[in-house]
Amino acid sequence: MRGGVIVLLGLLSAATAFAGDVTNQMLLDAQGDAESWLTYGRNYSGWRYSELDEINTRTVKRLAPSWVFQTGVSGRLQTTPLVSDGVMYVTGHNNHAWALDLLTGRELWHYSKKPVKEAQGCCARPNRGFAILGDTLYKVNFGATLVALDAKTGDVLWEKVVADYKEGYSATAAPLIVKNMVLVGIAGAEFGTRDFLDAYDAKTGDRVWRFWTVPGPGEPGHETWGGDSWKRGGGSTWITGTYDPELNLIYWGTGNPGPDMNGDVRPGDNLYTCSVVALDADTGTLKWHFQFTPHDVHDWDAVADPVLVDLDVEGEKRKALIQANRNGHFYVLDRTTGEFLLARAYTEVTWADGIDAKGRPILIPGKDPTEEGNVACPGLGGGHNWHPTAYSPQTGLYYFDSVDGCHIYYRTTQGYIKGQWYQASTVGGVPDEPATGSIVALDPATGETKWRYEMVSSPSSGLLATAGGLVFGGDPQGYVTAFDAQTGKVLWKFQSGGSVAAAPITYRFRGKQYVTVAAGEAIMTFALMD
Amino acid sequence: MCSAQPSRTNPLNNSAADIDTGRATFRIYCAPCHGIGAAGGSGPDLTLGVYEVGDSDEDLFEVIQDGVNGTEMSGFGERMNDNTIWRILAYVRSVARRDAPVLTGDVTRGESIYQEKGGCAGCHRIAGTGGRLGPNLSRIGRTLSFARLQEALVEPSKNIAKGFDTITVVERDGEAVRGRQMSIDNFSVQLMDSREEIHSYLRDEVRSVEQEPKSLMPSYEGMLSGSEIDDVLAYLVSLRGDQ
Repeated sequence: MRGGVIVLLGLLSAATAFAGDVTNQMLLDAQGDAESWLTYGRNYSGWRYSELDEINTRTVKRLAPSWVFQTGVSGRLQTTPLVSDGVMYVTGHNNHAWALDLLTGRELWHYSKKPVKEAQGCCARPNRGFAILGDTLYKVNFGATLVALDAKTGDVLWEKVVADYKEGYSATAAPLIVKNMVLVGIAGAEFGTRDFLDAYDAKTGDRVWRFWTVPGPGEPGHETWGGDSWKRGGGSTWITGTYDPELNLIYWGTGNPGPDMNGDVRPGDNLYTCSVVALDADTGTLKWHFQFTPHDVHDWDAVADPVLVDLDVEGEKRKALIQANRNGHFYVLDRTTGEFLLARAYTEVTWADGIDAKGRPILIPGKDPTEEGNVACPGLGGGHNWHPTAYSPQTGLYYFDSVDGCHIYYRTTQGYIKGQWYQASTVGGVPDEPATGSIVALDPATGETKWRYEMVSSPSSGLLATAGGLVFGGDPQGYVTAFDAQTGKVLWKFQSGGSVAAAPITYRFRGKQYVTVAAGEAIMTFALMD
Repeated sequence: MCSAQPSRTNPLNNSAADIDTGRATFRIYCAPCHGIGAAGGSGPDLTLGVYEVGDSDEDLFEVIQDGVNGTEMSGFGERMNDNTIWRILAYVRSVARRDAPVLTGDVTRGESIYQEKGGCAGCHRIAGTGGRLGPNLSRIGRTLSFARLQEALVEPSKNIAKGFDTITVVERDGEAVRGRQMSIDNFSVQLMDSREEIHSYLRDEVRSVEQEPKSLMPSYEGMLSGSEIDDVLAYLVSLRGDQ
């Protein structure tokens, strides 16, 4: 009998696909798969919307914790968990990751790798999640590597260097699977890196293509960089993008130019920083770009989710891309061509007097950072920063969080040293004007705010919309909250005890709807009490 | 053969580029507490050229790396490599003035004004004695710059210590309760009133909640003479805890 078992195991391992393996088709159809959460934004359009409605405006008051998994690793979790075939996969700070049993939250395996001390980043060492294809999980490690793990065991299949951490590169974003490739963004713009978006072969880990977000000599856009400033031009890709399979285009937001607050050393618009780029999925070739903040000096990265929705804009059907940009404006673009369609401020903006017909900000003079400090609104983190957003086709509304406040922006003159901070100064709070925040629901076809939930402090969490007429979020003081998606009224709240910096997800397991969110250092799962 | 390990010194040559980079990093991580020019804020003035934690390069490196227990100074070793820390140190050395303010006040007189005329002990605690509405001052000479102490006496609302904001809650029956805001979130408020009683409110169960960007402490300008303020300052600077 023993021999028979060995033969059987041998046959199984020779098979190419197991039940439960995630296929490219499943990723394309992810929106309809209520049992799973297979990719960062739930679907390729980045909606973070679920058709599940067992938990709804009427029943949500019965929502209660089902299980809690304490990671024991310090750092406010930013992960979007993945759910596939009865297992949840989460990533944490400092290169930790776990597989959890969906029924109980018990740990199935734990992966960790000690981060290289020399690897630096702007803001701790977070990680925002896995990507999955077949029975393989993909995540970045902080020292700018891409690692592939066996989803069943957490064993390392391979690890590839994406960039040299000694130059200031780091990696935090959840990868995106597109057509058997793993798309990987990079961070480092505060350290004078020249950034890019990479695609790797999901089987071998070999690089398929690289798109430099700061063009090199001879490439279009290079002329927007004075001297050799392009070499330290930044343009990080630290939040996961989206994908339109019909157009075969990948959309990815890019970060600030380097150095952040002294633009004198990089005269020009500094393409393709603070932009969204549309790339051919097969080759990484640039199809179009749109720059939200030309020659940025306020660190207004444009990495927020580039969400894909079809809208009726001024009487015309458009395949649109929407973004709540960190510079304080909400934008609608045509995602086929990159044409600017509309922009509207959603928070206090003092640096621009609107956006012109081509999408370029109409600058108000005297708002740049100075040696002594100069106030501008919004502050360095926006407006809306990176926290995941949600679009509900049920309400037709787009939901995101906003920091509402200003900063004093300082600049300095600073030489570049490889691998060292290259921000050319900083920001400070405006005395007696602490920033507050809000969750904003707006009509993406017009940019009109439908409701706004005001908070006592800057917000911190991502959002989830459901067909139960709900929007789920959290706050820095530890509350997990469910809002009425139509009105913004709080219908349910739970004090988790951990600052919520991640976005909730939802899925059905054994016929019951669950909501999971990372709060503080724990993963918390909720369901309706029977 | 054993010999004492010599104290580590900054291995960088403190070039202009090192200082510039250190300054840039300082502005990001250190300026929020030590001031944009390192002259102090809620944290000590670093331009004095003398430091409570020790004056050697190694002392200062370790403070940046590991933080100082019992203070708001956290360690940055997890976030910075050694050279980043050394460059911050190069910058701090470059701004040292070595002309510490001369304290003209008298410590003994200052203590008596603190206890009696000033009535400071009604709200502040030193070594286990005094009120709890204001910050504990047992180690204040170690944690706050001279300039910031001076400012706290005459303009107490300019920089309010963390956790000591003022808040007023008006209850449903119209009674207003004012005190020190201990905690606030989108759904609740916790405060300590002037009798040091702690109140907790759910926001949807009260009439209003008003946060004031103002300290509960009065300004002593006019209440105390200039020389009395100097005496109190001398006393406060002398408060350095058990160490």
